[in-house]
Amino acid sequence: MRALLTMTAVDLRRRLRDKSVLIFSLAVPLALMTVLNLLLGGVSEGDLEPVDLAVSSDADDQLAGVVVDALASTGIVDVTVTDSDDPHADVGAGSADLGMVVPSGFTAALTSGEPAPVQFVMGDGAGLSGQVLVTVAQGVVEQLRGASVAAVAAGAAGLEPDRASQLAQQVLDAQAQVQLTQGEASSEQLSTGGMLIAGQAGLFLMFTVGFGVLGLIAEREEGTLVRLRSMPVRSSTIVAAKALTAFVLGVVATGVLLTVGSVLFDVDFGAVPAVAVLVVAAVLAATSLTFVVVRLARTAEQANVVQSIIALVLGMSGGAFFPITATGLVGTIVDLNPIAAFTRGLGITSGGGGLDAIGLPVAIMLGFAAVCLLLSRLIPNRGVAA
Amino acid sequence: MGQDGTSTDVVQVQDVTRSFGDLQAVAGVSLRIAPGETYGLLGPNGAGKTTTISMIAGLLEPDSGTVQLCGEPMGPRHTKIRSRLGLVPQDLALYPDLKGRENLNYFGALQNLRGKELRARVDEVLEVVGLADRAKDPVKEYSGGMKRRLNIAAGLLHRPALLILDEPTVGVDPQSRNAILESVEALSGEGMAVLYTTHYMEEAERLCDRIGIIDSGRVQAEGTRDELIHLVGELDQVRMDGTGDLTAATDALQQVPGVQRVDPVGGGLVCAVADAPVHLAAIVTAASAHLELSDVEITRPDLEQVFLHLTGKELRD
Ligand SMILES: Nc1ncnc2c1ncn2[C@@H]1O[C@H](COP(=O)(O)OP(=O)(O)OP(=O)(O)O)[C@@H](O)[C@H]1O
Ligand SMILES: [Mg+2]
Repeated sequence: MRALLTMTAVDLRRRLRDKSVLIFSLAVPLALMTVLNLLLGGVSEGDLEPVDLAVSSDADDQLAGVVVDALASTGIVDVTVTDSDDPHADVGAGSADLGMVVPSGFTAALTSGEPAPVQFVMGDGAGLSGQVLVTVAQGVVEQLRGASVAAVAAGAAGLEPDRASQLAQQVLDAQAQVQLTQGEASSEQLSTGGMLIAGQAGLFLMFTVGFGVLGLIAEREEGTLVRLRSMPVRSSTIVAAKALTAFVLGVVATGVLLTVGSVLFDVDFGAVPAVAVLVVAAVLAATSLTFVVVRLARTAEQANVVQSIIALVLGMSGGAFFPITATGLVGTIVDLNPIAAFTRGLGITSGGGGLDAIGLPVAIMLGFAAVCLLLSRLIPNRGVAA
Repeated sequence: MGQDGTSTDVVQVQDVTRSFGDLQAVAGVSLRIAPGETYGLLGPNGAGKTTTISMIAGLLEPDSGTVQLCGEPMGPRHTKIRSRLGLVPQDLALYPDLKGRENLNYFGALQNLRGKELRARVDEVLEVVGLADRAKDPVKEYSGGMKRRLNIAAGLLHRPALLILDEPTVGVDPQSRNAILESVEALSGEGMAVLYTTHYMEEAERLCDRIGIIDSGRVQAEGTRDELIHLVGELDQVRMDGTGDLTAATDALQQVPGVQRVDPVGGGLVCAVADAPVHLAAIVTAASAHLELSDVEITRPDLEQVFLHLTGKELRD
């Protein structure tokens, strides 16, 4: 126990002294939050200019309809959709602020994994609203593509494109219902700003915990692991100290980000005990992921790359850069994403939900942690983790 | 002494082996070290020194064989007994961002030293390795030799029964090297058992009470320096330079007891003799009768030659 605390204390002191934690876990996410919040979070419905959207698409293309529906119902931009044969011309003539060209065969392309680039034409009047819509549209297209790919991989290959798009629409509808139910439970979802703060805190949490367990690899490269292992200290204690370091850094950084974010951007995350439980569960999930990474990576460099990729994937789909309304199969995957669970949990607490209302997101995060720890046991050791 | 395997031996290694894949790095090594004894493992790169040490230090599980430290089994799962061990790894094992003293405080704390005792021990080992005046500087500002010295200090803090030094002088300037050798000498004088690996034969000769010559994962021969040299029957060489009647001098020298052979070299003669210092006076007297001597020099056979004899290889390439 004493050895555990001694090692953790020195680790923490070294991390604070080299300032990398301060930069990567606090300064960078705060700066990003500020920028994104300026772009998205500071505005609420009504602040953003309404947009006239001219859309050209095959009339019977169902997934094109899904994208258009998504844009029309963002909740933050008031969109008037008109069908158009030539959005370029409409935008050029000033009769539309934003043009969107959905290529013909869009649904077929998406469901077979072919590229299907959606083009946008920004008019002078599109402004910030236009940016937001383009971002959302791209997000939706990516989700649809991901869902199709996942569906194909899951054995749904051979479906008629028609049937596939019907399925997609059904999943979308079902998703909408799930969200409604959740909205009822929490009575209110996170504002865009709150979502960004939570998503960014979650994303950078993935980086922050890397300063813990991945430090084992650095210790091996520095040669100090050999000395530690020659001392009257158990190998498991050495690993546990790294995990504890990650945990402390993660809790502190996330706590600071949520606190500073909520003050700067005027977001209320709700009751402190429930938020604290969410933070602890998220940090446990993130820390346990590093146990998997440390088994996979041979060098500190590899570990950082792997950790960054995982952080970005989980962070993006968890809503770190823009609010994603998860749909279809991707939605199911996103549901198991600890960062998404974290932001969803914060949505519940900010809507007034207490400890009893956050069972599901907490269970998802702890389940994620358990799976990671199990995986890290199963993956053969590459020599670092003692 | 260690060879009899008495229970006072600090470390007893019994026929350990270890392979990495197809490569047998250690093919059966046994050794014992008594308190106060310095044992040298002398061998070239890749001989298996570090692998042997890793098994003795409990970092690596032997494929077969046993290691005992202070009468107790030693291995990766035996944690407590490691407090009797001080390891100075071949590669530096220090935190460059921490100060010299902070490094020692940390390692000392992990060896269960606290408070006053910890402070006193840190001061003491800093003194031993001559770094007391640099303790406040971050290790990254140290010279290579200073880092090596601090690396050693960290292994000494808890007064281990066995100190293992794995090539502690590699890449070190002569001044630091001398400081390191002196501190090792002082430590064994205090009763610490020392296991010292090196591929510098002069270090093994200077420091070690007994030496094991290791190559290809096996101890090829073991004993005191003199035992090792007698083992291969090498003779001392007395070289005399001078002018005069070399033939008459050769005949006279061949009558001197102990002299086995006399050969001409350059401007003088070389006698091969069993124990040169004992016979030196007689040799010089015999030679002086026929030669005007300008220089006399004794070369004793060294471990380099022993190694060559045992393995057919040079110790250093
Ligand atoms: N972890 C490892 N994996 C694979 N091979 C290894 C490993 N450690 C050592 N070896 C091999 O075992 C042999 C003995 O290596 P070892 O490090 O014990 O030699 P050494 O005598 O310490 O050499 P040096 O003087 O260069 O330090 C070498 O051939 C080395 O390549
Ligand atoms: Mg070595």
